[in-house]
Amino acid sequence: MSQHIVSSFDRDLEAVQAMVVKMGGLVESQVLDAAQALEDRDEELAEAVRKRDKQVDELEEMINSEAARLIALRAPTASDLRIALTVFKIASNLERVGDYSKNIAKRTQVIVAMPAISGSSGAIRRMAMAVEGMLKDAIDSFIQRDAKLAADVRARDVEIDQMYNALFREFLTYMMEDPRNITPCMHLHFIAKNIERMGDLCTSIAEQVTYLVTGEMPEEPRPKSDSVTPFTPQEG
Amino acid sequence: MNDMRLTERTVDATDIKISARKVQVFYGTTHAIKDVDVDILDKTVTAFIGPSGCGKSTFLRCINRMNDTIDICRVEGDILLDGEDIYNKKVDPVQLRARVGMVFQKPNPFPKSIYDNVAYGPKIHGLVKNKAELDEVVESALRKAALWNEVKDRLDAPGTGLSGGQQQRLCIARAVATSPEVLLMDEPCSALDPIATAQVEELIDELRENFSVVIVTHSMQQAARVSQRTAFFHLGNLVEFGETGQIFTNPRDPRTESYITGRIG
Repeated sequence: MSQHIVSSFDRDLEAVQAMVVKMGGLVESQVLDAAQALEDRDEELAEAVRKRDKQVDELEEMINSEAARLIALRAPTASDLRIALTVFKIASNLERVGDYSKNIAKRTQVIVAMPAISGSSGAIRRMAMAVEGMLKDAIDSFIQRDAKLAADVRARDVEIDQMYNALFREFLTYMMEDPRNITPCMHLHFIAKNIERMGDLCTSIAEQVTYLVTGEMPEEPRPKSDSVTPFTPQEG
Repeated sequence: MNDMRLTERTVDATDIKISARKVQVFYGTTHAIKDVDVDILDKTVTAFIGPSGCGKSTFLRCINRMNDTIDICRVEGDILLDGEDIYNKKVDPVQLRARVGMVFQKPNPFPKSIYDNVAYGPKIHGLVKNKAELDEVVESALRKAALWNEVKDRLDAPGTGLSGGQQQRLCIARAVATSPEVLLMDEPCSALDPIATAQVEELIDELRENFSVVIVTHSMQQAARVSQRTAFFHLGNLVEFGETGQIFTNPRDPRTESYITGRIG
């Protein structure tokens, strides 16, 4: 797309998009650090993640006020309007991914004092990395206006759902084996659920990118694997 | 769900009021309008937008044969008003212009009193029987143009003595007084302040109940505010014609997008 005749309009649009990219990068590292802190049982890193959430919130506020200013002062139309609308939503989705990371860090600080559940933190970390990959690609698709990459991100959420379902079953089994596992497993289950929700939010960002690029929301239903299956493990 | 959408403003009528097919306009050897096909709906506000010299005013002037007054101007193709060819030799342009009124960019009141400016059309077309009826038409037209309260105590004062914005609203009252079926407006608000502009825009929306309104405007925001259909002209071509919300959120043609977002084409 060529430049605006009023070049300050371009500068405003670029500034608000740069904030979204910065926020995306910050949230990505929050996700990775939260997962790292959980795997390494690193209380300090968990505390750092909790503290950094404030920066994420501040960026969201900045993006909101910039986008509101843009709408009020520039009366954007067509693709410019879609930029103003999508940065609002993407910032809100990123903020929630940030919140989930913070919650993981909080739970990590509780779990540290409890016996480890073997193998689970590795699986959670793999899940977090997969989500971080989705988030990175969603932000890249925003930068490059790449509807194909956005569609790819949207399709990948099904993998996260499958990972979550597997963990759900695993935790249930642990809890049935030994009631002392219930507290850590409940925390780990919430952590897994948080990451699964992050996947949904990344999907939502990818959908916003599709709208930004094409002017239309993706229509076909997105692949899902989060149907709540009545899982009843066998006794004994 | 669709009726909850504000962007797709309802168009009550689907009747075609004006139908243009393969319209070409030449000024001497200059080809000003190229192959324009457009259907303008009844009881709808249609906005024409586009850069200066794109042909939007020229096309507007074809609709009530104002271009007849320019010697070197030649119009080809068909323009049908209610299915009748307005360029047919049997059509009297004066009668046509009573049905298709026009408001210009610069206010051009007659050098007569405020009352006579508005009463002129209804009188020459014999639309009223007596003075009382004429008084009523004048008052109603001035009210519609949001001017009545300002001039009701000095209807005998000359129209040219009003301020620019008031003069423009007087011209709108004059155009409305003959109850036209179609009202053509060529940049009607370019000389008005924001309050008077809002009043005219409100008037345009009210006129839509009875007439078909076609407005040429350089203010994209005005087109977005008042119209249900928008047509984008560029270099004599009709590039895109569609529902106003669609044109301003998701135009199909890259030239439309460049123009409405203020980019170098």
